[in-house]
Amino acid sequence: MSVQYRPVVPGIKRFKILVIKIIFIVLGRAFQSASQHDEEIKKEISSWRNGFTLLMKVMPDGPYMGLEKRDNMLEFKGSKLKKADLEIYFRNVESAFMIMTPQMGSHQAFAERRMSIKGDLNIATAFTRTLVIVMSTLYPEFIVKRLVKRVPPLTFKRFGLRIWLYTIGILLGR
Amino acid sequence: MLPSYYEFHNPVKIVSGNKALDNLPSEFETLGAKRPMVITDKGVSGAGLTKIFIDSFASSGMTIGAIFDDVPPDSSSEVVEKITSIFRQNKCDSLVALGGGSVIDTAKGVNILVTENSDDLLEFSGAEMLKKPMKPLVVIPTTSGTGSEVTVVAVISDVKRNLKMAFTSTHLLPDIALLDPRMTLTLPPKMTAATAMDAMSHAVEAYINLQKNPMSDAYAVAAIELIRKNVLKAVSDGNNSEVRLAMANASTMAGIAFSNSMVGVVHALGHAAGGICHIPHGVAMNIFLPFGLEYNMPKCRENIAKLLLPIAGADVYARTPEPRRAEQMIHYLIELRKALNDLCGLPINLKQAGVTEDHLPEIAQAAMNDPSLIMNPREMDVNDALVILKKAFE
Ligand SMILES: [Fe+2]
Repeated sequence: MSVQYRPVVPGIKRFKILVIKIIFIVLGRAFQSASQHDEEIKKEISSWRNGFTLLMKVMPDGPYMGLEKRDNMLEFKGSKLKKADLEIYFRNVESAFMIMTPQMGSHQAFAERRMSIKGDLNIATAFTRTLVIVMSTLYPEFIVKRLVKRVPPLTFKRFGLRIWLYTIGILLGR
Repeated sequence: MLPSYYEFHNPVKIVSGNKALDNLPSEFETLGAKRPMVITDKGVSGAGLTKIFIDSFASSGMTIGAIFDDVPPDSSSEVVEKITSIFRQNKCDSLVALGGGSVIDTAKGVNILVTENSDDLLEFSGAEMLKKPMKPLVVIPTTSGTGSEVTVVAVISDVKRNLKMAFTSTHLLPDIALLDPRMTLTLPPKMTAATAMDAMSHAVEAYINLQKNPMSDAYAVAAIELIRKNVLKAVSDGNNSEVRLAMANASTMAGIAFSNSMVGVVHALGHAAGGICHIPHGVAMNIFLPFGLEYNMPKCRENIAKLLLPIAGADVYARTPEPRRAEQMIHYLIELRKALNDLCGLPINLKQAGVTEDHLPEIAQAAMNDPSLIMNPREMDVNDALVILKKAFE
């Protein structure tokens, strides 16, 4: 009897993709909300041109998380954007899961080439700082400590922002 | 300790040594190229290096497609466009960059336009914007410092739009880095010292930052040792071919190291100071390096300590108790700067380099968006930057 050779179609990582999609929504709304309230983030994005788009993308084809700068804030575009001025790639689903859950910080992810950038490197540098602020507002210090080089100060204002994000910001993006 | 994961990539063939240039025609044959275009500058031509280059092609059966020897000290998109049209008119099929950092970046820019068949570099600026394999590119450095012959980076300014465009892509890696001691013999002492300290800063920053790995470490350590053994001789006795070749090798090794593990605050500050006060890059590196190390010390003391071995030699390393090695490493670096300052007047602070104190806040601000910060061990904020700048001022 002759052996049959057939193409092998690998499966789909449904669970991890679902988790990433949910975190992308939380993160996107947190960005939209924090960009209206946090002074540091406002300062970082103030020099970006209006209409500047930003995309987090898991290679090779999603999930996606898009942001657009409008009226001095970052507007969450969901997964509608497929191309942007600045694109941040996650090399694969596993890497995105690891970074988003969050078991690995963005600096280490860049160092291990799990994350890469397409577009303006100066803006990308500023964006990684805003990401640190949003993450450290969303998560408690004992988690953030492992992820970033320096934990941004949890000022009274930022503590307020954390409560705001969890009660209103993430739900409504305000 | 090994990193939990790392990548290392260097496909550039190194052709190094006495009369290496004479092997270039056969290297081009291997690359499948027949009409290389040469990109260089007036200084290189004036020093007679272009002539040596042309002579090395005699009796090779190859034609040099065109020679452009008017690259300005800061690579600009206008010049890149001009060279691109010459490349097309003369039906060239490959590129030679004969020069320093600006010439090499210009050649990389030309390679982008001729490969992508475009006239606008801006479309391709940023990280990972290039998808096609490029035309064969051979780099012959005439300074020993930038390491651009083995890096994935090019920086080109767009004067009209007032932009500094950075390009990074593995496709920008040249095919061959050709190190011929004749090409650096005429480099003046001060330039020799400044470019050497650029190479030193590449190796040192590559060794301490977050993307370091065992491969980049090996290149970094070897580069520092070669610099220690040769830099003073290269500055005081420029005609010594052996010493010049050693410096060229050190620069290339340091380039391989930082192309794979990136640089840090020293470069972020240097780029900013260069952009605002026009300090030559190597001079800025010489000024900032000890302060950058001191700043990063709380995060990477052990790594700085290990560099005492290549920068001071085995005797000093063995004699120095472990807890003092990191400080001693910086001490030896400062001693080296003093020696270079005595030999050729290489500035050791910003004031000597012509910077006025009122520019410091602007430099600090500009440094904050430099991508070199991402892989730096310590998260620098604008106040930290200002503190370092003030220390480096006088
Ligand atoms: Fe450099």
